[in-house]
Formats: sequence, C-alpha cells, structure tokens
Amino acid sequence: MANRVLAPLLCVQFLMLTACHSPAPGIQSGEKQLFAAFSQCNNAEPYRAAQNALMTKLWAQYPDVKLVIADAGQDDNKQIAQIETFIREKPDLLIVAPNERAPLTAVMGRAVQSGIPVICLERDILEPNYTTYISADNRDIGRMAGQFIVDYLSKKYGRPQGNIVQIRGLLGVEAEIARNDGAHDVFARYPGIKIVNDAVADWIQAKAKDRMTEALRANPHIDVVYAHNDPMAVGAYLAAHDLGREKEMIFVGVDGLGGPNGGIKKVMDGILAATFVYPLCVDKAVEVGNRMLRDPSFKPDKVYTLHSTMITQQNAAEAYQQLTFTN
Amino acid sequence: MKTRHSERPPRAAGRLPTGWNIRAGRFGAMRVLYRLQALVALAGVIVLAIVLSPRAADGSNIFLEAGNLTDILRQVAVTGIIAVAMTFVILTAGIDLSVGSILALGTSVVAIGLTRWSVPLGDVGRIALAIIAALAAGAAVGALNGAVVAGAKIQPFVVTLATMIGVRGLAKWLTDNANIDIGFGQDVAAVFAAFISRKVVVIGSLLVMAAVFWLVLDLTVFGRYVRAVGDNERAARYTGLPIARVKIWVYTLSGLLSALAGVIYAAENHQGNPNAGIAYELDAIAAVVIGGTSLMGGKGSVSGTGVGTLILGILTNVLRLNNVDSNVEMMVKAVIILLAVAVMSRRKSE
Repeated sequence: MANRVLAPLLCVQFLMLTACHSPAPGIQSGEKQLFAAFSQCNNAEPYRAAQNALMTKLWAQYPDVKLVIADAGQDDNKQIAQIETFIREKPDLLIVAPNERAPLTAVMGRAVQSGIPVICLERDILEPNYTTYISADNRDIGRMAGQFIVDYLSKKYGRPQGNIVQIRGLLGVEAEIARNDGAHDVFARYPGIKIVNDAVADWIQAKAKDRMTEALRANPHIDVVYAHNDPMAVGAYLAAHDLGREKEMIFVGVDGLGGPNGGIKKVMDGILAATFVYPLCVDKAVEVGNRMLRDPSFKPDKVYTLHSTMITQQNAAEAYQQLTFTN
Repeated sequence: MKTRHSERPPRAAGRLPTGWNIRAGRFGAMRVLYRLQALVALAGVIVLAIVLSPRAADGSNIFLEAGNLTDILRQVAVTGIIAVAMTFVILTAGIDLSVGSILALGTSVVAIGLTRWSVPLGDVGRIALAIIAALAAGAAVGALNGAVVAGAKIQPFVVTLATMIGVRGLAKWLTDNANIDIGFGQDVAAVFAAFISRKVVVIGSLLVMAAVFWLVLDLTVFGRYVRAVGDNERAARYTGLPIARVKIWVYTLSGLLSALAGVIYAAENHQGNPNAGIAYELDAIAAVVIGGTSLMGGKGSVSGTGVGTLILGILTNVLRLNNVDSNVEMMVKAVIILLAVAVMSRRKSE
C-alpha cells in the first residue's frame, strides 16, 4: 500500500531536483532582441551570487538584451554541457566564469570558433580561447594585504615585527596560492615578522574557528590574523572572542563583498580591521560586452586586469553603498 | 520509548554473531574486555597527544589544559551529536547520507526564525520557537526518510541520497543561496548565539545526547529492536518485531539530532549557512565505524561511537597545536585511524 503512495511522491521529488535548472531561451526573432548568455561556475558561493546579482542589475539597463544565467554547480562536466547548449543557441554574447582552467579550455575554443564573442570572466583558462579576458589579480591582493599588515605592525612596535596566524583557503586553488604568495612576497623582506601558525580552513568559517582555537592555545601572543577570505577571518575572530583575546590582535580578510553578510559590513562593525575587494569583474564585463554587442568595429583588449580596493573603517560605509546589490 | 522488561532479543536463526552473544551478558568478562579495547585505543591516542603536545612558556602541557580539552569536546560536538544518532541508523543496517543537508536546513531555519519572524513572544519565546522550528524540520525530513525506507522498501542509501540533494536545495532556496549572519548586533539572535554557543551548552548537549542514546540502546526494548532489525531482519520479522516503526524512529531521531547539531552550528558560527555540513555524513559515519560499529548492522555501541568521535577530534587538535603541515596531517590521521580500528577490531578473531 505504502508503495503506491510513496513512489509517486519520490518521482515528484526527483523531477523537482532535475527540472529546476536554466530553461533554454528561444531567441526572439523580429525585433532586435539580443541574447547574452552567462555560464556561472557555482551559484552557491557568495562571491558568485554577488556576480549574478550585479550582472542581472546591469543588463537590466538594456531592455533589448535578454540575459540567461546557467549555474554549473561547481561541476566541470555540467558547465561544458551548458556551454555546448549555448553554442547551439548562438547567443550574441557568451560570458563564462570557468569552474576550472583545463576542462573548460576546449569548449570555450569551440564557442569562439563558431563565431560567438566570448568573455572569460575572472578565472583564466589554459589557452586564450576567448575574445577578451577580464581578470582580477589575487597576487596583487596578497601583496596589498601583506603591506597593510607590515604597516600596522611597524606602527604598533616601531619596526616591522610580530606574530601572524595565516588561515588559508582550499590548498592548490589559484586564489589560495596567489593570496599566500603575494603576502609572502612582502613578509619575506622583514625577518621580524613570523607566521606562527599556518592553518588551512578550506574557505569555511566554521573550520577557521576551530583551527584558530588551536592556534590561540599554542600561541600566547598573536598580532595579526590574515585569512584568505572574509568568512574565515570572521571565524578566527569568533574563536578569539570566545577566549576573550579578540582585542589582542587584528583580523584581515579578503573578498570585500557588500550586503549585510559581506566582509565590508564586518569592517564597519569593527570585527575586521581591513578587507581587500576582490573585484566582481562584472561591471567591466557588461561595459565591454555591451560595446561588443552594438559596435562591430569595437576591438576589446585581449586582457583587462582589475585592481583591488582596500576597505578600512575610513571608507567602509561608502564602499558598502557602492558594492551592495540586490536583485 | 518503552522501558526494559523481560523480553529477550530475538536470536538470529542460523547466524549467531559473536558480538551479539558477548553483548547479551551485561556483566560478562568478554564484554568488559570489549569495552576496554575501545578504551585502549582511545588511551593510546591520548598518550600520543600528550607526548606530541607543545609546551607552554611555563613548561606545562598545552594539550592537557582544561581549556584545550574542552575545546576538543566542543569541536567534536556537532559531528558527535550526528554520529550518536547515526549509530542507531547503522545498527539497523541502514545509512543516513542526508545528515549534512539536514544540518544546513537546521542552521537556515533557526537563522530565518531569529531574523525574519517577528512574533510577540519575547526573547526566550522567539528563540524557543526558532529552535523548535529547526528541530521539527529536521525530524520531518528524518521521518520522511524512515517512511520511505520502511514503506517503499527502497535502499536507505538511495533514499537518503535523494533527501541529501533535495534538502540541500531546500536550505538554499529558503535562504536564497546566501548565508544569514546572526548575532553580531544586540538583537534576539545575539542572545541566542551567546547562550547556545557557550561551551557548557555545546558540550552538555553532546554528553546528554550520548548518554540518552547509550541508555536507550542498552536498556530499553527499543534498543534491542534496533540491534535485532540490523542483525537479521528476516528473523526479526518472523519474531513479529515492529520493523517499520523501528526504522521510522531511527531515521526521525537522526534527522532530529542533525537539526540539533545545526542549531548549535548556527550559534557557534553566528550564521545560518545553507552550504554548511557538506561531507559531514562521512565524518559521522567515520566516527561510528572507527568506534567498532559494523556497517552490516546489528553490532556496535554508542560508547564506541563516542571513542571514535574523540579519536578524530584529539588527532586534529594535537596536530594543529604543533602546526603540522595540513597535507602531512591527513596522512598521519589515516595511519592512526587504521591503527585504532585494528586495536578495536581484534576481538573478531577470537
């Protein structure tokens, strides 16, 4: 008996699971309706969600452009399949935020070959299979963070010295490598600056809290926590707060997202001393993409490199206004 | 749940696993030895931790500081609470892959309840309502798991795989893909986070749940049924045990405790996070099997799961205190886990 009731229920559940992604758009004929396709590697990350929100907001200024966002759910195969579908639909512009370098290189090449203008967003691929690449420089961000920390310690002690806890993202990921290397480019010049604990928390706030707890137990004196993203910096703050030591050190993060749950708000609240905006790249992509759509003679640069902004108490409120988007 | 009475557990026809017989006598020598084996493994890891621990400036052992030992208990509380209920599921020869997603649902529901529901109940009432809503959501998903497993006779792996996916989607849908930060201001959520994240509450929740589930498993008829179902389901059926009811209960409890873990997670990390708890099912299953519970069902104990949970927590703690390279940390962990399991499973050859 129960089978008859439950089996259809389960089927419905599976249908709901599989059927909710990206309806393919029909390309409107007649009026000059333009079709911009955006292949997003993973909607689940807050950074990506902010990209989607800004992308939707900016394209909405152009009523003749229809934007479709496909979420690959952090899966290379899924993203390849979605781009293949887009190629068949012949969008006027294809924007790709690749999940990983190697797997996406070939399919983006096929898109270019089939005559679709392709913008590679934020993450590079192995070969220049794009019309233009809009990049953000993580190593530069690492250097800026490193310099901020050196300046802080120099002011605190009169010379650059002190104990740093570094909390790293997922090892081997470009952002983690570059944010680590950039900071170390700076730290290496000052022998008085020591990394007393080099923990890995895979970008996750809860893990950072646990790893920071151990760092606090093992190190009676810590000056700075440098975390590769803001949630991990907040996790470290919560660990120090639990032990009543949050005033002993400052917390520095990266990403600088807007909105009530982003890093900029945490700077405004005095939880983080600084964060470094990792550019969403979307405003540049829409600016360049819009010209590509409308001006056949426009030749975009092969690469646009965007720079970070440091957010501290001084400019946090202003940045919050600028970088908070809602759909 | 009923209390213990004179009913004997059903004997499996034709197959009498030694583990069952050992455990049947409450004060049997074998049983004491079995318990000791788990403790020997735990003691080994603790001794190792003491030896490896760095020293503080005054020469004292950092690992043994009360603060550090309670850190460990707090850190393992979330997985530990899930693992305790997972022990029951695995004892019935089932598995629950949806626990991590239910944890995420729990964090999301409690955060939404605290930040978006304005009910005129006062702080305590609003906190209670948010927690109850989260627990109810988790229990409901668990009950659904149990009902489908027992009613539709679909393998637990498949059923809970589906809910793992679906509930993750539900949590993301409810929160619109974003974390909900709570408790950084002075509102009701701050009261919630400050209270629930206190060590005594977090560790207390783990200890109370472990104690209750231990007693239920060892002293109640329901506990005997749980083992009997996993030991030999056909025999249990012939004996007339309420198999479906037992299964629905264990999955409901698993959902409930996963949501409780979610409530604690939300308080500790000041966030409702729809992406929380990914791969926690593996951590929980690892704690259960390291504790000597058989994935085939029927054999195992809550105390073993406690030991398994602690071994993982202590290892992570002492390796991090020493700032060991995290890749080396993983390799060291693998070796020590296998050693611990080897010590605990030697009884099988007896």
